[in-house]
Amino acid sequence: MKEFKHIIDTTLRDGEQSPGIALGIEDKLKIAKLLDNIGIYEIEAGIPCLGDKEIEGISRIIETRKNAKISVWSRMNINDVKQSIQCNPDIIHIGVPVSYVQIYSKLKKNKIWVQKNILCCVELAQNHNIDVTVGLEDASRADLGFILSLIKELKKAGVNTIRVADTVGILIPNRTKEIVETIKAHTDIKIEMHVHNDLGMAVANSIIGAKAGADYIDCTLFGIGERTGNCNFYDFIHASESIFQFAMNRKQIREVEKQSYTVLKGAM
Amino acid sequence: MIRIIDNTLTAFDDCLPSKEDLYTFCNLLFTIGVDVVEFSIAAYERMELLPKEGKYILNVEYADEINKYPGFYKYVTNCTINQDTVIHEVQMNDAREIVKLRALTEYRELRIVGLDDLICESYDRTMNEIKKILSKSKINFCPENTYGCASALALQWVLNSGTDITTSFAGHKNNGATEEVIMALRLAIRHKPNRDLTVLPQLKQIYERITNSCIGNKKPILGKNIFQVEAGIHADGLHKNPDTYEAYQPGWVGGKTEFVIGKHSGMKAIKLKLEELNMPIPIDSNLNEILYLIKETCTLNRKSLNDQEFERIVIKVIGNERIQTYY
Repeated sequence: MKEFKHIIDTTLRDGEQSPGIALGIEDKLKIAKLLDNIGIYEIEAGIPCLGDKEIEGISRIIETRKNAKISVWSRMNINDVKQSIQCNPDIIHIGVPVSYVQIYSKLKKNKIWVQKNILCCVELAQNHNIDVTVGLEDASRADLGFILSLIKELKKAGVNTIRVADTVGILIPNRTKEIVETIKAHTDIKIEMHVHNDLGMAVANSIIGAKAGADYIDCTLFGIGERTGNCNFYDFIHASESIFQFAMNRKQIREVEKQSYTVLKGAM
Repeated sequence: MIRIIDNTLTAFDDCLPSKEDLYTFCNLLFTIGVDVVEFSIAAYERMELLPKEGKYILNVEYADEINKYPGFYKYVTNCTINQDTVIHEVQMNDAREIVKLRALTEYRELRIVGLDDLICESYDRTMNEIKKILSKSKINFCPENTYGCASALALQWVLNSGTDITTSFAGHKNNGATEEVIMALRLAIRHKPNRDLTVLPQLKQIYERITNSCIGNKKPILGKNIFQVEAGIHADGLHKNPDTYEAYQPGWVGGKTEFVIGKHSGMKAIKLKLEELNMPIPIDSNLNEILYLIKETCTLNRKSLNDQEFERIVIKVIGNERIQTYY
């Protein structure tokens, strides 16, 4: 019996961040419906802090979906989380920088500040009865000790799923295995793999992550996304269907690609 | 010692370029860190003479061709010849076939081609098993790319104490992409950090001319658009410190970061673009209006803006402000 793995589609969030495209409300609705119909577990529908139109689009996706969970992406920022709450999604995904280069150089803060802020954001969302998943941004370059201590606090705060985000696309199979296995060995949190293709290894790293224990795999249609893109949905299923069970098959993904090609081709 | 063989020039027989292009292609492969270049007989005959610098391998179908074309560092063939200068090539379609290697232990040097799905197996155990079976042989691994994992497998072979791999430029021969493996080795173990990758755009140009094809805009390392940044948070982060959102400096591969204005751009990205275009930074209320119009225009046209479109929006907003001020 093959192990079942869930697909989280981020075409409408990370995919749309690819320069070259800008999806309108109807475009997003159409793609979300196609994805929902083939059994996607979760659709990351967008970024509410982008404005009213984005919020309207996300809200309409939530109204019309049949089975998929709908999540929205938020920065670790109280105002952003408040805007996300307005959409009333199933899940608010909050990104927290965890590598030292992101914490000390980009944010110019420290680990304690990061921990305090993420817990505040989580609490705010949970107070509105919305599930929270937390994205460990730049996890591939982060100190595993810090990741584990942060997960411990997040777990205490009621977070059950974290995203291992290979934000700069620097992961290689050995490191992927090390990160996922270490988290699995020391915590009972669920893991979502989110990788980029900068070294041409997104599919391989997603498979390694799934084999090491990741429960969810983030993909995009055509592999679109920032820079070289994310894990290509079709390619991932094609490469790993011999060892994993999925809710959909390759033919269904091809059909979704065919029907969404016109609006997404600018990102390829 | 790691040895990377590039076999792209065994795949150009249907589109053989000029002798000059072949020479340039070889030189550039060495420049980026390839150790040995492999030719087909047709490519070699087109070149007439091997370049003085570098190591070359000839891919031959029949044993007698080895004597017919002397002077190569090695010869690759699937014929049953066991000589110091010959690499015996064997195709393995999946990991279960490695038992067949037990019949090949006498070969001095072997190239294993295939094993596309190894990433789904216990790849480290299988790699160790291969090394154990062929303990007396030098092993060259050439994973194929049916499942998009060949570059990762080639890298893992080296990281698991393998030494020899075969790849091709842009993964042309359905194997690992030379440039991806070289970059991954540089980042993972600082392999050949001084090799000059800035020639990659030149190599890409020759490759596209020879093959009459166009490398995808998002192709890792080589794609035209891979250093474009739109999202506001990332544009700001990159501006403050490029290391925050880039795996390596675009300049290493002859590229540069390009800020694109689009639906996801924020105030900071707009200010960066205005600076880049040497335009004055308007007051905050105008910036808000510019931001609003950018999002509206991008969503309406379903695409990001080019610099001219961005300038038009800015001038429209600033122009309106001037008229209002004037009256």
